[in-house]
Amino acid sequence: MPPIIDLNKCIKCGQCVDICTEDVFYGSKEGEVPTVTYPKECVHFSGCVYVCPVPGAIRLRFPLPILLVYKPE
Amino acid sequence: MEEEFLECDVLCAGGGIAGLMAAIRAAELGAKVIVVEKGNVKYSGCGRSGNDHFETYIPEIHGRDMDVFIDELLRTAKGEILIGREIYHTQFAKAFDIVQLWEKWGIPMKYKGKWEFAGHSFPGRAMTHIKYEGRLQKTILEREALERGAQIMNRVMAIDLLGNGKKICGAIATHTREDKLIIFKAKTVILATGKCSRLYPSLTPGWMFNDPHGGVQTGDGRAMAFRAGAELQNVEMPQRHIGPKYFTKFGQATWIGVLKDPHGKPVGPFVTKPDRRYGDMIMEVNKEVAEEYGRSGKGPVYMDCTDITKEDYEYMMHWMKHEGNISLLDHMKEEGIDLRKNPVEFATYPLRCGGLIVTNTKAETNIRGLYAAGDEAFGDISAAATFGWISGENAAAYAESTEVPSIKNEKDKIDENKRRIVQIRNRECGPDWEEANIALQQVMNDYAGSVRNEALLKQGLSHLRRLKEKAKTLLIARNPHEIGRCLEVLNMLDIGELVFLMALNRKETRGLHVRPDYPFTNPVLDQAHVIRMKKNKSVIEWRNY
Ligand SMILES: Cc1cc2nc3c(=O)[nH]c(=O)nc-3n(C[C@H](O)[C@H](O)[C@H](O)COP(=O)(O)OP(=O)(O)OC[C@H]3O[C@@H](n4cnc5c(N)ncnc54)[C@H](O)[C@@H]3O)c2cc1C
Ligand code: SF4
Repeated sequence: MPPIIDLNKCIKCGQCVDICTEDVFYGSKEGEVPTVTYPKECVHFSGCVYVCPVPGAIRLRFPLPILLVYKPE
Repeated sequence: MEEEFLECDVLCAGGGIAGLMAAIRAAELGAKVIVVEKGNVKYSGCGRSGNDHFETYIPEIHGRDMDVFIDELLRTAKGEILIGREIYHTQFAKAFDIVQLWEKWGIPMKYKGKWEFAGHSFPGRAMTHIKYEGRLQKTILEREALERGAQIMNRVMAIDLLGNGKKICGAIATHTREDKLIIFKAKTVILATGKCSRLYPSLTPGWMFNDPHGGVQTGDGRAMAFRAGAELQNVEMPQRHIGPKYFTKFGQATWIGVLKDPHGKPVGPFVTKPDRRYGDMIMEVNKEVAEEYGRSGKGPVYMDCTDITKEDYEYMMHWMKHEGNISLLDHMKEEGIDLRKNPVEFATYPLRCGGLIVTNTKAETNIRGLYAAGDEAFGDISAAATFGWISGENAAAYAESTEVPSIKNEKDKIDENKRRIVQIRNRECGPDWEEANIALQQVMNDYAGSVRNEALLKQGLSHLRRLKEKAKTLLIARNPHEIGRCLEVLNMLDIGELVFLMALNRKETRGLHVRPDYPFTNPVLDQAHVIRMKKNKSVIEWRNY
């Protein structure tokens, strides 16, 4: 479910919680690793991924229904 | 439930492009400005992760006659929006000033030191849009608003306007992270809440927030405006878009490729090879082309960039990042999709709610002190930025000339809003917002969808009203976040009802309003179709643009 946080890398700064307009991280507590409370409300605009100061601490897993359809070579 | 009372000259509902531009202008003219934003202005609204096309008229480039420029613009999808020409004149008399302001504030409006015109234009014709690097525009606009003294309140959702139907005196808002009601006494309110995105199902019905607008522009401004007595126009006229299949994102004009059928034949007459100046204009001429190809057995259709030159590929990828498509690029990278080798399927996106709040060239509505700008009135970046600015300027001037209003007579309305929130919060069981939203999307799709007739619309209207009553009396929310979602759905139920009423009244076929019981377009109805609330009843009329 999008987004996914790496517990070992996250420095608990809360920037992803702050930026998400849909408030997917609603209920997260200051100083703790954010909780992904409403994953289905994610709009996949990657605000959290690009605001995060630690490379690889957060990523989006794009859900299966939205996979892009393409022609293989 | 906690209550807070605040006072200001100008209250901007929505901190998107229009709301922030309004705040910047009103604050620099000395008004006390508050922006309330449901999310966080840094990354909210359609401009959150960037845009790359800004339509602008430059006399030295386009010639002295602005109407020639406007005529060209109206040949594209822009022509679907039915507003008076004086509105365009006002926009394009100002838009280039705004372009230069943005450049000064640090939003790069030039490419390699020059105005770069590309996209949204037909080969061989005048070019109407400059390319700009909008990726960081929201943080820059936030900074400019704060520097001028505007106050920004994130996680605050405007839910109702205060006033007597003729004059505005403030608004009610709810905090989306705390059980708290905020009551604003305001001389003016600028509605800038954007489009209405979750009224119809998405391309992936099981995944409702897969919406190219993002998920929280839910027509709150229109619903509030209507309830306060403001006029709405053409709410029944739906719009559609075309773009990558399933991974729904806007930005068709940023693609440098050719829309092709499965055998590699171009679908449209405009381009046969990828061309960085034009993209493929077939998507502006007929957004339903992908669906038509599918239905007639000729599909699917693909955006084919495989013939692109190395330079144009780099150019396209550069602009994709600024066009809010960074996550699409990440997804393609993860999946090993390479646009130089893989055509990607394009789909016609489902219906979305059209219409607008009626405003004049000063962004005023018919209610004194109430303004609307951006997608709320008529949008895209240039219109949102320009009319945001204009609304802020006029609201500040009006605020200076008027007394602080009283909200003494608004007690009932404030109490009623408080009561409904407390009731939703206290219910132990019942449908949550999502269940109600699914039911609403279902009725909109099945009864006010791509084909409509009188019997269907009447049946849909009565079913929607039943749903609305149930939602009002049964909805539950476990926390302030879910309260916000419930209030969104209640707003969309109001808007859905207006779609039905206006669709019943439009006894013709026009654009995407298809009525087999009235199959012809009636030239006499080439007018504004306006609805407003009068003495608790809705009144519909036709009027010249
Ligand atoms: C990916 C993408 C690319 C695009 N590219 C272009 C482009 O290149 N060129 C172009 O011209 N147009 C483009 N558009 C369209 C353009 O972004 C919009 O027309 C423009 O952003 C509209 O600005 P706005 O301020 O009216 O609305 P928005 O920017 O959508 O802002 C509305 C704001 O109101 C807030 N809000 C909603 N309800 C409430 C409430 N009840 N209380 C408080 N706040 C609320 C929302 O959270 C949001 O921040 C694009 C759109 C998208 C999604
Ligand atoms: S922004 Fe990154 S580091 Fe900070 S809380 Fe979120 S995931 Fe953790």
